[in-house]
Amino acid sequence: MEGKRRNVLKGIFGATAAFFTAPIVYAVGRFISHIPDVKSGGSATLAASEVAPSKLIRVGEEPVVVIKEKDGDIRAFTATCTHLKCIVSYRPQTSDFFCKCHRGEYDTNGVNVPGTRPKRPLTELTVNKDGETLTISLTPLKPQNA
Amino acid sequence: MSQWFTSITHALHLEGVLAALKKKPVTHHRHTIWYYFGGLTLFFLIIQFVTGILLLFYYVPSAEGAHESVKRIMTEIPFGWLIRSMHSWGANIFIAFMIIHMFSTFFLRSYRHPRELMWITGVILMLLALGFGFTGYLLPWDETAFFATQIGAETPAEVPILGEFVALMIKGAKEVGGATLTRMFALHVGVFPLITLLVVLAHITMIMLFGVSTPKSAVVRGEEKYFSSYLPKELAVWLIGFAVFIVIAALYPWELGRAYDMANPTEPPDNVHPEWYFMFLFQTLRIMPEWMAFLGFGLFLVFWAVAPFLDRHAKNKVHTIVGIFILLVIAAMTVMAYSELEPVGETPGVLKVQGDSDVLNAIWFFAVMSLFTAFVILLWRKRNKRLQELENGGAGEQPKI
Repeated sequence: MEGKRRNVLKGIFGATAAFFTAPIVYAVGRFISHIPDVKSGGSATLAASEVAPSKLIRVGEEPVVVIKEKDGDIRAFTATCTHLKCIVSYRPQTSDFFCKCHRGEYDTNGVNVPGTRPKRPLTELTVNKDGETLTISLTPLKPQNA
Repeated sequence: MSQWFTSITHALHLEGVLAALKKKPVTHHRHTIWYYFGGLTLFFLIIQFVTGILLLFYYVPSAEGAHESVKRIMTEIPFGWLIRSMHSWGANIFIAFMIIHMFSTFFLRSYRHPRELMWITGVILMLLALGFGFTGYLLPWDETAFFATQIGAETPAEVPILGEFVALMIKGAKEVGGATLTRMFALHVGVFPLITLLVVLAHITMIMLFGVSTPKSAVVRGEEKYFSSYLPKELAVWLIGFAVFIVIAALYPWELGRAYDMANPTEPPDNVHPEWYFMFLFQTLRIMPEWMAFLGFGLFLVFWAVAPFLDRHAKNKVHTIVGIFILLVIAAMTVMAYSELEPVGETPGVLKVQGDSDVLNAIWFFAVMSLFTAFVILLWRKRNKRLQELENGGAGEQPKI
């Protein structure tokens, strides 16, 4: 009887503690786990002469590398390494991309080189050329995962 | 002074505690030297708190103001370069001493009953120390700090189920940026210090309650009282440590890299890498999948935390072998990581500030005075010990001082 009463009291105590703790934990949890929305999309412009032979820019929140190929073609790729989000560099000598952080490599089309750390390719972005002005938008040139 | 002390202890009913502490013995054996590293770790933690609080007077925790404020501390604020250098060097020395203290405790099996909880508080302090290192690294907002944090914050995302959420919690945003900096700042100066204070207090209280552990294999050559005999030696070691530390901090002032500009993304600097105590993890991530690295680290942590409960037999050799294996893996990965760094010349835009020759001379003088004080404390202790021996009727010469 005594034990039963003690158990009931313990239960009431536990429930009261949970009643007061749970909302506090919930509120604090929601407070610290708020992640602001990132504006996706957007575009940026630059002069073609600035791409010599590559230029890192930011389009919206996204770092983008714009490159000029040997034949003069201008292309743009997301510059965020798909491994751990460092920023990749363009190597004009070998016409490929390299990530210094963990030696990730991508070929000239931004495709990750097998055997290096990245598991996904860089995304090629749309470049519109109007005379000397380049407009880079975050729209992928090809549908992703194609 | 002594009257004040007596009154305060009386008012707080601490006479009993003090009487017990006065009797607290420290044994002498061939491993006694390892005891000093616990005290040194505590001493450098105190230095970190003091220098950290001082830096808070001028540091601006925002992506726009952080780098500029650190630059200002180093160039405009009197002794700012020294205090920042002490904080950065102190962090590294603190972690080095903590690692030595932790491994010596492990190999000497000092975690055994009744000190299991003490060991667990030590493991929590190790994690906090690494947390301090990680969160503090980003605060100057230079390029190396940015990319090292980028790698560190993104790594958990590769772990299935909770990884992505953990990475987001670390960054406070989808990408490392201003939100990450304020989050790191809050953890570095608010959350971690508070938890650390509580855990250190628990750790020290347990040392006072259980005393220092004497390894079972050690041949005890004698013992001494903690407060009257051992503490002066510990203070002397702290002073020697401080003298060496202040000279290093002054002669090799900590640098500040180029500011990271959010608006104009740049490639990571050559050889971007974290601090030396994260290098083994950095290298592991280079050569094996993230999940495997995390699994290994997780297993290590679990084993490390429960080690006292697994080690029940007096002649257990397994723990020693596992401990040596862990040390070798960490050392090998660290050496491999450093050996793979390519030689680079002077990095452009790096700020290095040092006091003028008068200040440096004053620091040398201060260091020598610290050493001299350590010497005086040791002499005083020796004299006291001899007097006590004479009082107790022990034979020996009359002290010369």
